[in-house]
Amino acid sequence: MSRLDAYFRETAAGLRRNGVVAFAAISTAFIALFLFGLALLIARQFDLVIDAWTENAQVAIYLEDPVKAETVGRLMDKLQSLPAVADVTFQDKDAACARFHEVFRNQPELTENVDCATTIPASLRVQLVDPARYQEIAAALGCAPNADSEIVCTEPGIAKVNDNRRLLDLLTAITRVLSIGVLSVALIMLVSAVFLIANTLRMGMFARRKEIGIMRLVGATNWRIRVPFLIEGLVESLLGAAAAIFTLFLLKVVFIDRLRGQTFLPLIGNDDVLVIAPWVLVAGVGVALIAGTIGIRRFLDV
Amino acid sequence: MASGTVLETSFPDPHTTAPMISLQRVTKVYRNGVTALEDVDLEIQKGEFVFVVGPSGSGKSTLIRLLLKEEEATKGKVYVAGKNLARITSWKVPHLRRNIGTVFQDYKLLADKTVFENVAFALEVIGKSKHVIDQRVPEILEYVGLGDKLNHYPDELSGGEQQRVSIARACVNRPLVLLADEPTGNLDPNTSVDIMRLLDKVNKIGTTVVMATHDQAIVDAMRKRVVELDDGRVVRDQSRGVYS
Repeated sequence: MSRLDAYFRETAAGLRRNGVVAFAAISTAFIALFLFGLALLIARQFDLVIDAWTENAQVAIYLEDPVKAETVGRLMDKLQSLPAVADVTFQDKDAACARFHEVFRNQPELTENVDCATTIPASLRVQLVDPARYQEIAAALGCAPNADSEIVCTEPGIAKVNDNRRLLDLLTAITRVLSIGVLSVALIMLVSAVFLIANTLRMGMFARRKEIGIMRLVGATNWRIRVPFLIEGLVESLLGAAAAIFTLFLLKVVFIDRLRGQTFLPLIGNDDVLVIAPWVLVAGVGVALIAGTIGIRRFLDV
Repeated sequence: MASGTVLETSFPDPHTTAPMISLQRVTKVYRNGVTALEDVDLEIQKGEFVFVVGPSGSGKSTLIRLLLKEEEATKGKVYVAGKNLARITSWKVPHLRRNIGTVFQDYKLLADKTVFENVAFALEVIGKSKHVIDQRVPEILEYVGLGDKLNHYPDELSGGEQQRVSIARACVNRPLVLLADEPTGNLDPNTSVDIMRLLDKVNKIGTTVVMATHDQAIVDAMRKRVVELDDGRVVRDQSRGVYS
């Protein structure tokens, strides 16, 4: 107990002594972890949109109401026999409804006012072996765009077909570019954060070299000497992480919550910020550990 | 004054007949090619008081650094408390040092800590409990004659008093050996005598004391064993000796 106490007193003293430098390290950790969290949130927002618009199926075949078991069986058999089809799954109205509620979980005003039992039809969702082979399905089911650009089929039981290939590709590409872009900037900032924190630790060790010398002389172990510095790095990094999570939450309130009720796009909510928060913290701990290893390396010798 | 049991070592040497410190044909050559010690043989028994004398650069400090395993002997063997220092792994070195107290010319006190805190620091960083600290620190400070200055800061003390604090810190963990490197180097003759009385007192209760110095008056007055180094070699080893 007294040992823990001593560690924390030394850490607090170190942060105070190192004020400006520690602040620089904390800010960099904050920016880095904020961008990291932002990339994760962007990916989640786009996943929701992709889910809502395409249900992650390259081709969605909506069935006529009421759905007959015979129709489902016949269409499934027909599709599965096609070499172009990698996978077919049937989503009944309950599942479609549940999915709608899940995707729009953060917009109760939407889910409460839409009776999904009447508006969302059952569907067959098709993954293609190769997106370019869509025409093989269209031919087998006799599908073609009508005057309103809706794809209708001669095969009985089908209400309409959504060809999501292009949309899916586009959205996936945008998501990838955005999150990889932000993640790379985050990575550069994370590396800077590592070196800035390592530098504060090194400066702290230099400022306390007399104390460290005495600790060595009286027989303190290496870990006893190093742990306060490791804690200091961890505290700096976690302060940055906490600020980053708080800012991400603010960002969600300012930009996302304002759209609520004004759009039919599914929106991320508090739960999404909560889901990414642990990852931001884990990244923060990682930064601290690497910074600690680099920062105290020079003091490894007895 | 507190009773003599204060400084009794908690690690009695099991080999009572073996020397406390033993150097066997020790040579130390630094990386820059300077030979600091050459073919040194030296045995110091438990409870001895030994002066190591010689001009600057004669190897006194290197000898002390070898005993603390701050440096390794290039050739030969160094034993402290029966242990071959070459065989002590780096993570065991702190445990070696807990058996060795050290005192330096510049006291090495922390200016932002009080007398009590400076001594307590030595126990705190080796994981002693608050209970042990609260018991031993006032006891040892009483022993060195600073029982009334617990809450003073080093810059409020005279040089002699600061050196007493540093001796208290070196002894608070009851070491087997006390290494003193020019402990009177910054003190006037009268204060030096007081410090020597204190070191003698520490020695009388069983602590082996090795003191590097070139304070001729003190060596001559104490009439203890004198080991003289010159250019890294032992040129004289005399019991009840004088400086030169």
